[in-house]
Amino acid sequence: MSAPAGTIRVHAPQPSLLGRLFEPRALGRPAPLARILVYGGLLAWALVVLFPMYWLLVTSLKLPIDVNEGPKYLPFVDFAPSLHAWQYLLVDMRNDTLRPYLNSVITASVSTLLAVAIGSMAAYALSRIAYRPRLGSILVFVLCLAAAVLAMVALGLPWWLAATVGLALFYLVVRALGHRFRKSLGNGDILFWMISQRILPPVVTALPIYVMFQRLGLLDTHVALIVTYATVNLPIVVWLMYDFFASVPVDLEESAQIDGASRYRTFFDIVLPLARPGLAATGLLVLVLAWNEYLLALFLSSANAQTMPLLVAAQNATRGPQWWYMSVLIVLMILPVIMIALALQRFFTRGLLLGAVKG
Amino acid sequence: MRVRLEDLSKRFGEVTAVDRLDMAVEPGEFLVLLGPSGCGKTTALRMIAGLETVSSGRIRIGERDVTDVLPKYRDVAMVFQSYALYPHMNVAENVGYPLKLRGVPAPERAEAVRSVARQVQIEELLDRRPRQLSGGQRQRVALARAMVRRPSVFLMDEPLSNLDAKLRVHMRAELKHLQHELKTTTIYVTHDQVEAMTLAHRVAVLDKGRLQQLDTPRAIYGDPANLFVAGFIGSPPMNLLHGRMESGRFLGQGFALDTRSSVSVARAVLGVRAEDCSVILDGQGHLPGAVYSSELIGDHSLVTCKVGEELVVAKMGKDFEAGIGAKAGIRLDLAHVFFFDAANSERIRLPATATAAA
Repeated sequence: MSAPAGTIRVHAPQPSLLGRLFEPRALGRPAPLARILVYGGLLAWALVVLFPMYWLLVTSLKLPIDVNEGPKYLPFVDFAPSLHAWQYLLVDMRNDTLRPYLNSVITASVSTLLAVAIGSMAAYALSRIAYRPRLGSILVFVLCLAAAVLAMVALGLPWWLAATVGLALFYLVVRALGHRFRKSLGNGDILFWMISQRILPPVVTALPIYVMFQRLGLLDTHVALIVTYATVNLPIVVWLMYDFFASVPVDLEESAQIDGASRYRTFFDIVLPLARPGLAATGLLVLVLAWNEYLLALFLSSANAQTMPLLVAAQNATRGPQWWYMSVLIVLMILPVIMIALALQRFFTRGLLLGAVKG
Repeated sequence: MRVRLEDLSKRFGEVTAVDRLDMAVEPGEFLVLLGPSGCGKTTALRMIAGLETVSSGRIRIGERDVTDVLPKYRDVAMVFQSYALYPHMNVAENVGYPLKLRGVPAPERAEAVRSVARQVQIEELLDRRPRQLSGGQRQRVALARAMVRRPSVFLMDEPLSNLDAKLRVHMRAELKHLQHELKTTTIYVTHDQVEAMTLAHRVAVLDKGRLQQLDTPRAIYGDPANLFVAGFIGSPPMNLLHGRMESGRFLGQGFALDTRSSVSVARAVLGVRAEDCSVILDGQGHLPGAVYSSELIGDHSLVTCKVGEELVVAKMGKDFEAGIGAKAGIRLDLAHVFFFDAANSERIRLPATATAAA
């Protein structure tokens, strides 16, 4: 067959000797040089990550003198390990260590459960139901709310009366004018509004939150910490779970609804089991955030509800940093997180959706 | 049960996906909605299922108006293109799920699942998860789940399109047999005309949201209502030759055909199927042309000839051989030649014996 006019015969290139170092043997494999660089880099980084853990463990076994005399690396070789710090915190100071530990466990786990339960339902609704709140209606609502508050403060109206009148006013105005409002918000706006709660640094809200719980008489209680952590972490849960729910094929839910399931049934029977990997990942992240939280705990708790991060910080007080005690407390703090991560690992690796759609 | 669509429309913003669809599906009938992708057939099906809201018009199942009724109250079952099996449930749980939702006690549920599993031959798979099944097996599970609660209407959205060609032919036959046994009204969406022709009692051809023709497969093939149906149904597609009709003749590129009709159309189309054409090498036919290519299909060969600037495909015997470029005449079976008005795509019907050789 003769080639059409204007086309050019181009020969395939041949590999050079040097090129072989930079080129993989086959597609989908790393090149020889790249392999060394990548694995070497990963190994180096693993050391950077793991060394502090080792150092914590070692420091928790050191006497103050071993710490102050400069770096000592190997127990039994460089120094004689001692359990003095462990004994001091777990035996001598027993309740003063255990109480913050329990406080941390309770506040972190309960607030995480709350945030994940509420947040995932909100995320699901946002991923499946189209909300079209009209801008005008929102404005009317805000105005009615302001009027109600004003009536309460200036005229001394009881709150229930102000609220009822305000709501009735809102209902009447929206019934009468609602169809005139053209511009409306969508799910994306609601999602962004939720995430925007996390844009401001938490210090901004720390004082108002402190004053609120002070007025309620709930300072230094579990409730204050749990409610605060759940609220602060809610946007993160919604944001993360939204993507997981969006990846569940709509077909499955539509099928369930034709089969006779209600929305809640569909959510609990079909969607939630399929989003389990996402729930596990989100739950772990939120748990760690609450577990490590320092700033708000500093405002909201003093003695009874004190959490572990505060206790760790307290070791650096008048006598200067007590490295050995800090190390023990931090090791204690890390342990449960590592265990939970290991327990949840199978969810991260397994793709449950495989086989749901197509073959 | 009878399904009635009354002036059913669906608009997405500016786009009209389904445009005043008005038709009835008789009790026990197997009706296929056929059309190219984007013709609105799936949207129509989803409206019947209740997965899509209706812009205007009504839907009735039996005597009941279900237009604004949630899917679960409609008593319909649907087989999805993706099968939509619940991946975290085994086959028995998948099939039994509709019964579970309706509060059927476990022992009776198990019995119903077993009996429907026997019917579609998946008894030995009941403990498996969907991901452990082949495409054909998943298809059967999806069917079983739809059948298990004996709905009044089956809705099927391209259920065979994810199977390989061989399995598809097999499942097609099974589907037809099952529907005949169950006698449940079935509405089936496909873009595959072979599926439509083989399965349907009646075919509704849709294009751009509009119903083009609703008739038996035989009539759809042999008596197309307009240019779209003529061109869409049949493989290879119907040969369409452009020309004009005047003073009792159809004038095409380099040929004229007597129509013996006084109809005059400025832009007309002549349609004729490949099996109603035959190529006569070096001979005289109704259309003069030259062989463009010749393909042996198996039990027949398709010979493409160039007539003027247009290509005409003729279905010939498997032993037919022709060199490319050979002069040829094409003879038409004049009883099966159709004329269309290119301006509005409508069929131009002539008195039965009108056409004859010029």
